[in-house]
Amino acid sequence: MNTFVVANPHKCIGCKACEIACAVAHLPVDINAAAARQTTFLPRINLVRAPRVTMPVQCRQCEDAPCANVCPVNAIAQQENRIVVHSELCIGCKACMVACPFGAMDMAIQEEEQSILQVANDRGAERKKVMVAHKCDLCTGRPGGPACVEVCPAEAFVVVNPQKLIRNMKEKRLASAWGMLSGRR
Amino acid sequence: MIEIDQELCTGCRRCNEVCPVDAIEGLQGAPQQINHDKCVNCGQCVQICSVYASAFDEDISPREEKIQERGLLTTVKEPLFAAYYQGQARGAQQMLSDSNVYTMVQCAPAVRMAIGEEFGMLLGSLTPGKLAAALRKLGFDRIYDTNFAADLAIMEEGSELIERVTTNGVLPMFTSCCPAWVKFVEQQYPELIPHLSSCKSPQQMAGAMFKTYGAKVDGVAATKVCSVAVMPCTCKQFEAKRSEMADSGQRDVDLVLTTRELAYLIKAAGIDFTTLREEGFDKPMGTYTGAGNIFGATGGVMEAAVRTGYELITKEAIPDVNLECIRGGEGVRRTSVTVGDLELKLVVVAGLKHVIPLLEAVKAGKADFHFMEVMTCPLGCISGGGQPKILWPGQREHAVTSRKESIYEHDRNLKVRKSHENPEIKKIYKNFLGEPLGHESHHLLHTTYQARR
Repeated sequence: MNTFVVANPHKCIGCKACEIACAVAHLPVDINAAAARQTTFLPRINLVRAPRVTMPVQCRQCEDAPCANVCPVNAIAQQENRIVVHSELCIGCKACMVACPFGAMDMAIQEEEQSILQVANDRGAERKKVMVAHKCDLCTGRPGGPACVEVCPAEAFVVVNPQKLIRNMKEKRLASAWGMLSGRR
Repeated sequence: MIEIDQELCTGCRRCNEVCPVDAIEGLQGAPQQINHDKCVNCGQCVQICSVYASAFDEDISPREEKIQERGLLTTVKEPLFAAYYQGQARGAQQMLSDSNVYTMVQCAPAVRMAIGEEFGMLLGSLTPGKLAAALRKLGFDRIYDTNFAADLAIMEEGSELIERVTTNGVLPMFTSCCPAWVKFVEQQYPELIPHLSSCKSPQQMAGAMFKTYGAKVDGVAATKVCSVAVMPCTCKQFEAKRSEMADSGQRDVDLVLTTRELAYLIKAAGIDFTTLREEGFDKPMGTYTGAGNIFGATGGVMEAAVRTGYELITKEAIPDVNLECIRGGEGVRRTSVTVGDLELKLVVVAGLKHVIPLLEAVKAGKADFHFMEVMTCPLGCISGGGQPKILWPGQREHAVTSRKESIYEHDRNLKVRKSHENPEIKKIYKNFLGEPLGHESHHLLHTTYQARR
């Protein structure tokens, strides 16, 4: 089973520290100061703020991932314990955005330019920037694990891995058995 | 002024946890407001705020509009956060392109150990030479230094303390170089105003000297001089705009930039900061000592004052110039030094909220000390609200401790480490000011305060 990160809306204070941490954790170089970063901020987690609810939303790493199932170029694949976008294959068709039931998929503008496609602007035309599907990768390779979990001042995140899930199921099953027993008395 | 963008603020209220004066008002989950009567403009909220304008959010006003509203340069690429400081970088850019203006710039001590971070350099990188070179490349006519004025402040403030101690003046005396602390006394403890040193802050001393002594040295009319200050602080603009800060006959400081704003200007001019060749600051008012330089860390003003005060009173060299007992972190530190037959009791406060019990003691007549240094920010100016904003919270402490190490490293490596031994300070008293606390000093370097309640 895949591991995933999920936030608790009852604990979330809406500070967006997770979004910043996510964007910083996915930079190719170490950057400390805000101004040292010269490109758009691209987090893979999105804070939802609506009346009565505040919560960051990110990929659930679905076992039968709808995003992967609809991808026409097989750019989304199962890898170890997660669903991963191979951005070098992605054509930016956005089928995954439509398919995802959580709204966890985004399109992210990249630094590199496309080889052929151009966009017209007031200076004539320039090569269009590459745009690819973009989602939570559980901070692959990061020693401290997912950055959002580490940074949250409200401790609103939970890393749900198969072991934790199975243990939780066992506890709940036991509780329901005890419940039946006490109910019969 | 510090503001909170009502469109962006989510009401997480983490800013309220760092605000030393409870000036941030609002319900949890709703946009917050700043009570400007209470706010001391320290900018700690600007540093902690993590709510930013997402590039994909279409329900908020466009980025260009927000850039305009915040007085930012249009070239700024960094994310825009809810808590922000209204800067003057645009004014500086305009002034630098005006050939009729003679520009003099000063940089606070803490700027040179932080600005490199804005260009991807290691946290706390010490770059005074690159800083001077960048300012020259930007087109400033004179590259002066707040560190020089810090040396000058020590001459005046040290003399004032000696005078108060020997003539039964108002004691304990409080330092007056932190404008947020001064505003706090004026609004919360106006009855203690007589305890504040009458010395202007180094920024304002420098400003007054630029348009008098500086103009004279360069043979330019004071009216042609534009004086710019680069500060790690979001309250220095407020200080420069105080109505009484015009003893030179003009505004003593015309524009104040934060460390971050100077980085914006350097980037906008296409200057590659990291590869700049090191240059020096200009004479006469760019010459500084280690004592002036340590003003940027908590305890620095006190240490610099003791280095000079000890020698002026005893006429002997201080046994050890490194006064480790005065250095430290956030909170209250007490120490005493024996100077001749006098035991001076000293208190250093870092972090404004820690000062309240001490002020209550002074009010009740129970203060058992002579001199108190107060800095509003947690570790002094190196942790100021105008310093580079560190994105990863786990790196913040590392950033501030690295800047602190750099400040003392710089002090250790400077040849002259006592303010009264600064050759240009000696010269300025001989040729222009006369003597500390003298008539000219009193006019240009000292100030008055106003109760705000």
